[in-house]
Amino acid sequence: MANKKELDEFNNLNKKLTLQIEENKKLAAELIIARKELAFQKEEKGKRAAELGIANIELAFQDDEKEKRAAELGIANIELAFQGDEKEKRAAELGIANTEKGKRAEELGIANKELAFQDEEKGKRAEELSIANIELIFQNEEKEKRAAELIVANKELAFQNELKEKRAAELGIANKELIFQNDEKEKRAAELGIANKELIFQNDEKEKRAAELGVANMELAFQNNEKEKRAAELGVANKELAFQNLEKEKRAAELGIANTELAFQNEEKEKRAAELIIANKELAFQNEEKEKRAAELIIANKELAFQNEEKEKRAAELSIANKELLAFTYISSHDMQEPLRKIQTFVSMILENENKNLSENGKYNFQRMQLAAARMQQLIDDLLAFSRINTTDHTFEKTELNLIVEEVKAELKETILEKHATIISNELCLANIIPFQFRQLMYNLVSNALKFSNPAVSPQILIKSIIVKGSQLNNEKLSPEKNYCHIIVKDNGIGFEPHFSERIFGVFQKLHGKEVYGGTGIGLAIVKKIVENHKGIITATGELNKGATFDIYIPAN
Amino acid sequence: MNLKELNILLADDDDDDCLFFKEALKSSTLTTHLTVVSNGEYLMDLLNKTPQLPDVLFLDLNMPRKNGFECLSEIKLSDKLKQIPVIVFSTSFEQEVVNRLYQNGAHYFIRKPSEFSQFKKIIQQTLLLIIQQNTKQPIEKNFVITLQNN
Repeated sequence: MANKKELDEFNNLNKKLTLQIEENKKLAAELIIARKELAFQKEEKGKRAAELGIANIELAFQDDEKEKRAAELGIANIELAFQGDEKEKRAAELGIANTEKGKRAEELGIANKELAFQDEEKGKRAEELSIANIELIFQNEEKEKRAAELIVANKELAFQNELKEKRAAELGIANKELIFQNDEKEKRAAELGIANKELIFQNDEKEKRAAELGVANMELAFQNNEKEKRAAELGVANKELAFQNLEKEKRAAELGIANTELAFQNEEKEKRAAELIIANKELAFQNEEKEKRAAELIIANKELAFQNEEKEKRAAELSIANKELLAFTYISSHDMQEPLRKIQTFVSMILENENKNLSENGKYNFQRMQLAAARMQQLIDDLLAFSRINTTDHTFEKTELNLIVEEVKAELKETILEKHATIISNELCLANIIPFQFRQLMYNLVSNALKFSNPAVSPQILIKSIIVKGSQLNNEKLSPEKNYCHIIVKDNGIGFEPHFSERIFGVFQKLHGKEVYGGTGIGLAIVKKIVENHKGIITATGELNKGATFDIYIPAN
Repeated sequence: MNLKELNILLADDDDDDCLFFKEALKSSTLTTHLTVVSNGEYLMDLLNKTPQLPDVLFLDLNMPRKNGFECLSEIKLSDKLKQIPVIVFSTSFEQEVVNRLYQNGAHYFIRKPSEFSQFKKIIQQTLLLIIQQNTKQPIEKNFVITLQNN
């Protein structure tokens, strides 16, 4: 019986041990889960630390960038200040260059004021930037402090991690020991009875151990709480950092906008400066062009003046030469008269006084000599008349052309009668003429008409005159606005071939041999000269055997 | 004055013309006495010194030293000489010259003819005019002597 009691006790003990082993197994499984959780937390912390490290590197990089930007802005400000100086210098230069140009100077003055105003604005902006820089520097300092704090926090976290890892290692060892103990218990159970006392002791030990594990669990829970708090703090710190980053980005965006604005203002100023430079270049170019043009004009003027001088010299020379020629013609023909007259006188003396001593042939030859001398006398007289046209007075008088024609008719009365000629001259007007010259003109024309009359018909000479406007006369040499006295002398004589219409006015120009029609060929040359003295023109139209017409146009006033 | 010898003074530097003049006077019906001077200075010297002034002066225009114009002016400005009838005798005919001579007090103008017969006639005609007109200057229309057909 005693044995049965002992066996029941042993069985009960065994059941209790089995329960404890099962509980130990549960506890071991929980420990494994706790270890996995710890490992997961460690990984998370590693990730977080790596993220923080990256965030720190990024912050440091951003700080560097900001410092670079600040430095760049500082350089940009210096450059702007330098450009401002340069612009001021340029403005001063432009001011000096433009003092002559009134309007331009005013515009530049305004432009300069604008530049000065812009410079002031830049000064203000630079001040603002420097304040912003100071603020940035302050923020950077703050960030550096914060970063240092984060580094300290990280170090602490790392230290805590280490502690946890140690604890975990201890827990691992404890687990191994428990497994070993279980094995030992299983051996003990198999041995059944051997180890009961030891089991009680061991149960005590286990209870102690379980209490220790409870304490350790409480500590782990506390540590987890602490970690959660820390994580929450880190979250807050991260939020703050994110907020600071946002602020910095806003500030950076504002700075970017400010820089863009400054860049825009600079561009505008550069454009304005470029425009001013272009305007100046253009003005300078225009000035150069004007100066070139002026220089060219001066040269052209000089050349014109020179040409005018040359022309005047030439004209003066020509007029002198002309006068000399006329004087020569006059003097030579005048002085030739005397020896010619003596030859004629001697010849006539011989023919008269020595008539009986001369042979018939001698008499004939002396008579030929007389004829030749007479012709020479005629030539000299005509040449004198021609040159006299220019040497005599040119006094214009309002004269009735009818009077002139009547005088000429009277002078030629004998020839008119001899040739049975009719002169029709009942349409004549008042004309502004040199009467003495015009009498000679009319005489030459009428005597020509009589001389070159057609023997088959009785000569008819029509003389008429009329006042007409130049525009009605279809002659390019006449001014269309002026009034002209148009004088027509028309005959029904032998006329001339049309192609001689110009030539007949030349000096010594004759269309017939002197045996057929006498004369020296000066008559019409004198007529033309007289018309020219009256600032008029004369034209001749004719057809062989159908008469000739002379049209004279002289200014009426 | 009719039967009296006509005292003629000729001022001409040309020998041929003097010869023609002498020949012409030879054939004249009038009784004449001819004195010849060959330039203007001699003429004025003679006129200023002579106790008896010529009845008529035939004056050539182109003479050396003092020309016919100057002589005419001097004669007409002198109270003593201005009565002498002056007949200007010239080869050429210039209307302006002729007008000036009349204004300066010359009596007649003769253009020397180239025919000797005409020369003689015009001398004769002029001398007759002088005898008839005496010292009075004719009207301008008659100043230039032209040959008249007898």
